[in-house]
Amino acid sequence: MAADDVSRWRGRVGRGPGRPAGGRLARRLAVGIGLAAYCWAAAGAAPFTITALLWVLLAGAVIGGIAFWRPPERIPPPDRLDVTGFSYWAIGVAALFEWEAAAFKDNARWWHPSLTDLINPLIAPHPLKSAAILLWLLAGWALVRR
Amino acid sequence: MATRIITIVGFGCVIIALFALEIIGRRRTNRIPTLGEWLGYLMRGRAGRAVVLLGWLWLGWHYFAR
Repeated sequence: MAADDVSRWRGRVGRGPGRPAGGRLARRLAVGIGLAAYCWAAAGAAPFTITALLWVLLAGAVIGGIAFWRPPERIPPPDRLDVTGFSYWAIGVAALFEWEAAAFKDNARWWHPSLTDLINPLIAPHPLKSAAILLWLLAGWALVRR
Repeated sequence: MATRIITIVGFGCVIIALFALEIIGRRRTNRIPTLGEWLGYLMRGRAGRAVVLLGWLWLGWHYFAR
């Protein structure tokens, strides 16, 4: 049951607070260095290659594994969602998809580029692509905590 | 040229609107949830959690692997 999953995870105690301060700092430093190295290496992979795919799948496997087998302490979700309040988000997300779909319908021509066509040149430089990958990883971690 | 600018401005407007919703949602003076709240609501069960995480993985594949 979905509700059972929530109650089981909600009360779960994180593993961090029990460590001594020095250990926590060393762990954070190691994670930070590991993340930076991963982002830099993954950003160096050429698009449309197995290497690039494996870098993404590695992150997916780690985040997915943590999410389902070793979930951290979760931020409790709201008991209910205000339909009116959520509808603003639904309209915004639908508008984004519609605008993107219109570009796909036009086969992403120069005069109606897709969001991907606009973002790809922005993240083409290696440092910016590394930063984008870091942002993606942090978003994944934020999702795992939800 | 003008059509391309209109398209880019359209994307910009929608993205700015989504950021505005997040800021408004954090002010707690209204009923608009934050992005984290409604995603958390969708991820209460395992199925919703799997779908949202797959969406996240797709985003990474789309922008960084191809």
